[in-house]
Amino acid sequence: MKTTVMGSYPKIPAGSGPNVRSAIQRFEKGLLTPSQLFDTYSQVIGRVVDLAAEAQLDRTTDGQIRWYDLFDPVVRDLDNVQSAGLIRLFDNNFYVRHPLITGRLQYQGGTLAAWSREAAKRSPVPVKVALPGLFTFLELAEDKSYANQDALLADLIDVMRLTVKHLEDTGIVELQWDEPALARNATLSQNQVEEAYRALLDPGISLEQSIALYWGKSSPWLERLSALPFSRIYFDAISDPSILDVLSQTALPMDVGVGLLDARNVRLEEPREVLHHLEPIIRRQGASKVWIHPNCGLEFLPPDRAEQKVRLLKDIKTLINA
Amino acid sequence: MAKHLLTTSVGSFPKPGKLITARSQFRRGQISLEQLQQAEEEATRQVIALQEELGIDIFVHGEMERGDMVAYFAENWQGFSESLPVRSYGNRYYRKPIVENVVALGDSVGLTVKSWQKASQMTNKPVKGMLTGPYTICDWSFNAYYPDRRSLVMDLAHLVHEEAVALENAGAQYIQIDEPAISTRPEELDLAIEAMAIVTKGLRAKTISHICYGDFETILPGLFDLPVDQLDLEAANQHFALLDLLGRYRWPKSKELALGVVDVHTHRIESVDEVKAGIRRALEIVPLDNLLIDPDCGLKTRTWEEAEQKLRVMAQAVQEVREEDGLQ
Repeated sequence: MKTTVMGSYPKIPAGSGPNVRSAIQRFEKGLLTPSQLFDTYSQVIGRVVDLAAEAQLDRTTDGQIRWYDLFDPVVRDLDNVQSAGLIRLFDNNFYVRHPLITGRLQYQGGTLAAWSREAAKRSPVPVKVALPGLFTFLELAEDKSYANQDALLADLIDVMRLTVKHLEDTGIVELQWDEPALARNATLSQNQVEEAYRALLDPGISLEQSIALYWGKSSPWLERLSALPFSRIYFDAISDPSILDVLSQTALPMDVGVGLLDARNVRLEEPREVLHHLEPIIRRQGASKVWIHPNCGLEFLPPDRAEQKVRLLKDIKTLINA
Repeated sequence: MAKHLLTTSVGSFPKPGKLITARSQFRRGQISLEQLQQAEEEATRQVIALQEELGIDIFVHGEMERGDMVAYFAENWQGFSESLPVRSYGNRYYRKPIVENVVALGDSVGLTVKSWQKASQMTNKPVKGMLTGPYTICDWSFNAYYPDRRSLVMDLAHLVHEEAVALENAGAQYIQIDEPAISTRPEELDLAIEAMAIVTKGLRAKTISHICYGDFETILPGLFDLPVDQLDLEAANQHFALLDLLGRYRWPKSKELALGVVDVHTHRIESVDEVKAGIRRALEIVPLDNLLIDPDCGLKTRTWEEAEQKLRVMAQAVQEVREEDGLQ
């Protein structure tokens, strides 16, 4: 059994220490130089990956500390896409700048690769990057350019393939496609989703690619997505507890991530209760194929609880191994 | 002849620098509660004066005593504790309440009355009583106590009702119950409506509910059943796309629409012409007598100068539409 986190992590510390929030405030008042602000981001990334090491995670992200939001690096790396007005991120009291598409998508690259290289170099734990999945991007983007959605999807697949290709030599080991839009909408065309991801997943790429379904029901997508060459599928068992039974009964051909820690509630889970849910899944899937993680990024929690949830992963792993 | 296209504000105003300093001094124990309240009153006076100057019709007090629209109630009611800051966007953070016990008013009955009374004494214009709705308080808190969302929302509804009654008894003619979270789970719209019915039961004051950043497509036309007299909706943020959606339905005769015409989350100051265009599009959908004009949301995230400019553009646009269309 392995452990990981999903994406974002709080940018502020629970106590003292480097703090992105106050650094930005000081920067805006002219009290920090651009270099000092850059260094603060680096220090906070260091804190995130060091915590991952302390908690003996098998894989981590960099906490997306430099990211304004999930769309930020994608928007920076594409031409003819801008960060536009705030939009609610699904059912959270959390807002993102929605991508505004003003012309045909072109990949320029640079930012995400640089950020990924920095994280991989700094982290003692193997690093993955989580990006908005195709359908989550489309759901929250505003298109002012394409005549039809199919043409936009085709170009989006193309630029995302380039994005993945340019991450290959950065030192990261996995690209995770976040698809809350799929989990929240089972009425999307299953054929279209399957075809789109089949086109996106380039067999010539050495990076592992995974998909994360959270904030909704993942069962409707299980059959189609498990037929695709993903290295693993991450499920949100907090929003959709019924997936626990499904995973106890159906063996998948890839690794299985079980999101059993609620990253949107401060209540701390009991390791024994988590174990109770996991045991039948481990029996069915095989221990080496099961990953445990929070159901989504940890930035929806205050920093003290986020840290406690990461450390809880270690407790659960110890309990299972015992 | 009644005045048309009444203007109003949604709730919060930016806190002036002196008040920001006073709040941090109070947190550090460097000034007394009385000194903090003095600074709040002075800031409220500025808010009222600005609205007077711009000729706004229905005032807000600016929420100078509140840090956050949910946390303010949680700080004063029983059953809540406070988390470390959680980010909501950009570099904005708030202390998200944690429900750790049964929620109750405790000693805070009529919590919002005093600030409403003080503001009302500064002007002859009506001032709205400002509350946060039970559904949003539940949704924007961590629930670490109640077995489910419904039981928490219902308990909160009774508390918000008590507060609304206290405002009405104090003389408030307008009571606004904000529910920005209402669209987040369309499957719970009925719960939010049921809770609002408890909040507004028996009130004679005009009731308003402000909703912003909503996926309105998922909750219309059911939203028209929300038991309030006026829906206050943001529109400028999405370039008035909301109006295309509203245009698919017959606007209910019994409801007013307060339309947000300036985006409160951008530094850009809208032009008078684009605001006028938005108002004219709204008039094609909502009867003149049912339409009011305001910003998309509370203005607290803008600088004072930006807030003033946005309100000035809004007021001028309304005035020009009134004059061009021969309205009062």
